[in-house]
Amino acid sequence: MPTEGPIAITWWGLALGSTLLVANGLVSLWLGLGLGRKLLVAGLRTVVQLSLLGLVLVYVFESGNAWLVGGIATLMIVLASVEAVRRAGRTYAGVRRDVFLSLLVAAASSMLFVTTLILHTDPWWTPRYLIPLLGMVLGNGLTGISLGLERCLTAFEEERPSLELWISAGAGPWEAARPVASRSLKAGLIPILNAMSVAGMVTIPGMMTGQILGGTEPGMAARYQILVMFLIAGATVAGTTGVVLLAVRALFDERGRLLRSKPR
Amino acid sequence: MTFEARGLARELGGRVLYRDLDFRLEEGRTLVVRGPSGSGKTQLLRQLGDLDSGARSELRQEGGLTWGGRSPEEWGGCGWRAEVCCVPQVVPALTGTPAELELRIAGLRAQRGREAEDPRALAQGLGLGAAAWEQPWGELSVGERQRLLLAVLLSRAPGVLLLDEPTAALDEEGAERVEALLKERTCVWVTHSAAQAERVADATIRLEGRNDAD
Repeated sequence: MPTEGPIAITWWGLALGSTLLVANGLVSLWLGLGLGRKLLVAGLRTVVQLSLLGLVLVYVFESGNAWLVGGIATLMIVLASVEAVRRAGRTYAGVRRDVFLSLLVAAASSMLFVTTLILHTDPWWTPRYLIPLLGMVLGNGLTGISLGLERCLTAFEEERPSLELWISAGAGPWEAARPVASRSLKAGLIPILNAMSVAGMVTIPGMMTGQILGGTEPGMAARYQILVMFLIAGATVAGTTGVVLLAVRALFDERGRLLRSKPR
Repeated sequence: MTFEARGLARELGGRVLYRDLDFRLEEGRTLVVRGPSGSGKTQLLRQLGDLDSGARSELRQEGGLTWGGRSPEEWGGCGWRAEVCCVPQVVPALTGTPAELELRIAGLRAQRGREAEDPRALAQGLGLGAAAWEQPWGELSVGERQRLLLAVLLSRAPGVLLLDEPTAALDEEGAERVEALLKERTCVWVTHSAAQAERVADATIRLEGRNDAD
């Protein structure tokens, strides 16, 4: 009989699925590649983290408590900022605040736009839509922000002599740093631009795959994926622009003199 | 106008480079700065050009500067640097051509509306023809770059020029041309050459390069 609708995966089925990793672990052990332990740890983390996430989401979805949803959303943004700051490699006083603000404004404004004007969820913070979408926005946003920030801070170190030449000639912070800011912004946006360019050509995007496996009609899944791509791209552009501008501002003092960032 | 410094002091990484340094430079005069390598000559120019923020932990600087009776605060950072211009010893890696650099510098907010000189005529005086302006920076020799950058910055007619061995990459003839072009201008001029110091100096500062912070 042909299968129809979503198929429930049993724990036994997952255990069988884990042999995909176990088999590779054994090969690694046999060849002395030292990969077994890493595979084991990563595999266990996946199981524990995602199972917990499932439990938490069930609870949050059913609670209908705006404070709880708000708290979780804030926590997600904080965790994403911490990770973005860590990945940037260099740091300056106030970098945490700048990254958090950029992510917060970018994610909140784009999410509010999508839930109120396009999805019409009622209330607008309906967790079943807000939390997964926010997760995707933050995952991609933090990549853009950390790449943009990393490029910006590195360029300020590496291109210090030419920045100083501009400053010596009387350039203000923005006049001196605009080429660096523009390149940093582009660097931050490369992943999402690539993802949008090849979407559906090489791979089926993860979310669309999930929806199709979950039983959604592919045409509708495609529309959801397009909306999500726009959402992610919009938030990533906004967040990366925000963080690059804030970083440029932070790297000059009140008299337009260059300050230094530090390696982490 | 007068370029004046009172009680300049600078410490870098706990090392005292100079302290209690005063000078008064009248318009059109040249103050030569001499001293062994590492004695803080370049650091002095950076302080005069207001390039380093006091918010850096390893750097301490003190003292008052005025040009035309106004301090860097009163000129505003960019305004001061457009007036008291630091010419770097080594031309940094730049994209584009000298002509493009000249255009962009002339378009800076602090430079707009200033009276300027013709950079091409200045470069001519340094022995560089029109063709050099259209060549990418990467294809020019070190000496050509140094002279072109000098011509670009000189053309903005800053009140004071802070020069860090401006003839280091030039032959004797090139050095003479630079010296001739800078005559009558207000300069603080770092040089290693005793003969050059002799030719251009109206006054001289000697930095000894102290060693320990005491």
